[in-house]
Amino acid sequence: MFLKVQLAWNVIIAAENAQPESLMLQRAIIIRLLSDFAAKKASKDLGYFLAVTVLERIGEGKVRQHTGDVLFPVVFNALTFKIFKGEVLEGVVHKVLKHGVFMRCGPIENAYLSNLKMPDYRYVPGENPCFMNAKMSKISKDDRVRFMVIGTKWLEAEREFQALVSLEGDYLGPVSTLDV
Amino acid sequence: MSGEEEENAAELKIGDDFLKAKCLMNCEVSLILEHKYEQLQQTSDDPMNQVSQVFEKSLQYVKRFSRYKNPDAVRQVREILARYQLAEFELCVLGNLCPETVEEAIAMVPSIKTRGRAQDDEAIEKMLNDLSLIKKFE
Repeated sequence: MFLKVQLAWNVIIAAENAQPESLMLQRAIIIRLLSDFAAKKASKDLGYFLAVTVLERIGEGKVRQHTGDVLFPVVFNALTFKIFKGEVLEGVVHKVLKHGVFMRCGPIENAYLSNLKMPDYRYVPGENPCFMNAKMSKISKDDRVRFMVIGTKWLEAEREFQALVSLEGDYLGPVSTLDV
Repeated sequence: MSGEEEENAAELKIGDDFLKAKCLMNCEVSLILEHKYEQLQQTSDDPMNQVSQVFEKSLQYVKRFSRYKNPDAVRQVREILARYQLAEFELCVLGNLCPETVEEAIAMVPSIKTRGRAQDDEAIEKMLNDLSLIKKFE
């Protein structure tokens, strides 16, 4: 789910960039905020950081004693993407393996659908391997699939989420590209 | 897996912070990100290099999974869904997946039936009809 959140961060401006002309200073703060935001990538609680939408306010700067850098408290709105257990989502298949498929879903690169979680589908090997069921419904690379999230995992080192997803439920499975 | 054993979006157990948080539909995110991207195009020769991977992947995703493209339609979808006392989360799941039948809507968002708000089938049916009208006239 995409979320609109308000965040309060501290932005550090190096002493040599803290010029008195206020427009230049504001510019430096915004540039620093945007690069911090992109570098942080994601957090366990809020999910992936997509974009800063509104800068609400920049507070009074505080000089740090030893370095002379200036620290500004900044409040801003941002868009994030977090995946929830129990949520129904759609994704795009990017890898088909014997044991299941990997899908992309928004910024999440690895949403894994195990063959155990699509019991009526059988693996069909070949140049373009796929999964197929008795009704000839097919899951292959670049297909769109609607699934339910059954588990999520935050990887602190990579600052990434992984998801386990399932097709066990009504109205889940490949989505025809024609109806969009 | 995740430490919060309680979390279950199907029952709308997503934590108080997120229940109150504003959720956005794919089509709304698409409008915002595309606007951001256009702004970058005006100030940079190579805008794709200016954005994070998270931005790029999300933009690709919402472009592909937006049911409504026109900004007026996007606004109307939210207006219509807002009439039905849905939680933000439920509203966005419905707007993203555009279920065609009442049964499908309940399968996608089971909490609309279980939260004691007694959304009756007729109300859900009307909501889905209104949504499909927007799609037709877009």
